[in-house]
Amino acid sequence: MKLFARQTCALVKLSFIELWRRNDIFALLLLGLALMVPLSMATPFGAGGASRYLDEMALLLVWGFSLFIALGAGQRLFPPEFDSRTIYPLLAKPISRGRLLVGKYIGAVAASWSALAFFYVLFVGSVVLRGGSFAAELPQAIVLHFAFVALAVAISLFGSLLVTASANLSLSAIVLVGMFFFGRNLPEYAEGLNPALAWALKIVYAVAPHAEFFDMRQRLIHGWGAVDYGVFMTVLIYAVWYIFVVILLADVVLNRKRV
Amino acid sequence: MVKFFASVRACFLLCLFLGVLHIVMLAGLVTRFGETMPQVVKGEGALAVMFGDARETISRAFVHKADSYYHGGVDIDCHHLSDRTHHDHGVNHDHEGCDHHDHDCNCHHDDHDSDHEEHGDAHDDDHDDDHEEVVAFSDDPWRWINVHVCAPEIHKHLDGAKSVELMPWLWASVKASPHNIDAWTTAWHIANNSMNNKKLALNVIDEGLKHNPDDPELLLCRGRTFYDRGRGDVTAARAAFLVALESADRVLKRDGDKGEERIKWVRKFAQTYLDEIAKKGNGLLDVLE
Repeated sequence: MKLFARQTCALVKLSFIELWRRNDIFALLLLGLALMVPLSMATPFGAGGASRYLDEMALLLVWGFSLFIALGAGQRLFPPEFDSRTIYPLLAKPISRGRLLVGKYIGAVAASWSALAFFYVLFVGSVVLRGGSFAAELPQAIVLHFAFVALAVAISLFGSLLVTASANLSLSAIVLVGMFFFGRNLPEYAEGLNPALAWALKIVYAVAPHAEFFDMRQRLIHGWGAVDYGVFMTVLIYAVWYIFVVILLADVVLNRKRV
Repeated sequence: MVKFFASVRACFLLCLFLGVLHIVMLAGLVTRFGETMPQVVKGEGALAVMFGDARETISRAFVHKADSYYHGGVDIDCHHLSDRTHHDHGVNHDHEGCDHHDHDCNCHHDDHDSDHEEHGDAHDDDHDDDHEEVVAFSDDPWRWINVHVCAPEIHKHLDGAKSVELMPWLWASVKASPHNIDAWTTAWHIANNSMNNKKLALNVIDEGLKHNPDDPELLLCRGRTFYDRGRGDVTAARAAFLVALESADRVLKRDGDKGEERIKWVRKFAQTYLDEIAKKGNGLLDVLE
């Protein structure tokens, strides 16, 4: 157990260093500032005092950036190791493939969470600077967003073991963004289709990752209040279960993979 | 390494060439067929040429967003998940798009606004009463989660000074398509009726008239701001209603039987306001005599 913790810590440290050394976060931050600063100066029709649109745009950017970082972090875990053949010394040490997978996954999640925490600190800071405040929904929104990031890393990691980098990033982004925006309406879309397509859509609805469960942006922006804790826990259990299944599948693929 | 940079340079040059070719072709097409192209959004400036009719769709999406802000952030696309029936329970509020505001702006006479507000209150109460969940976890767990996370248990409308939150989306809407009259009239409605800011309402209408000169609806809104339920500048209001009436007549004459229903409606209401002003004027004369 102690050995596992030490190995995991080493992998987490590596992931951290890699993510922050790449300067992706700072590039995204600059992009965000370039978008947000002109927006914050706008006075539509000469009327000042509106702030919710700024929160909305800032949260949309935080979600977009976090997805970008999570998918990238998941993708970079194994393929570079295979390409540069550094996987051999890693596996030569007394470490199983399963442990390597879990350790690397935890490292990537921790690194992505650190980036997300950084974005949230900036977001909350900007809201407080504008004289705003948040109620009970903020911690819930952050926790669910963290869960979403962990899910996105798992999906990207699984995809990286199956297809090429560009295909994996494209497919993962399409699935997650598609479910984020249209997932909740899939049963309605299925109603108007022929039976075969309707069944296909229902299967997608049943098994695809429901990214929209984690989206509490509107609650946060409009101050609806916290989600019922039963629902909150159900979403977290869903995330943990989904991640477990995806990592298990990734483990099967990695164990069958010839390196 | 040299090969890599050579290929990158080749890609860059190819992109540059294709970009220039694209712009030249677009400019040529617009110059040659600009007048005959079936564009809904009239092309002024590079953005209009680039996005074309898509601007109209983008503009409507922003109005839809403003509508969701009006309902405290509740999106109608999301709200239907809960199978709640309160949108259909006998109140003639059409929540599709932003017709709700159009409805307020277009179909309600000033004197009826207070009735509408009372009606609106009753409507809110009904919302609160009718919030009984019909989706069970065992029926569809995903839907159950969505109902609880996305569709809120409350129903509220932004009013008063808070309505300013709608303005950025309406502003974005008219920036996307300056000919989206619904967006202009909705922004006017928010400024004039919700925020009670007449100066802002006139700013909105003046800006709208710059892009849509002589639009009967905008002219009618301008008159309504001046009129202010009979408390404002009646002379200026009368002049504005007359201009609106003339403009509506011109449009109806031009379009013949195909004249839009809304223009007929503008004409009718401009006439109603003018009759009302005339009646009040006669009443005043009677008192003076």
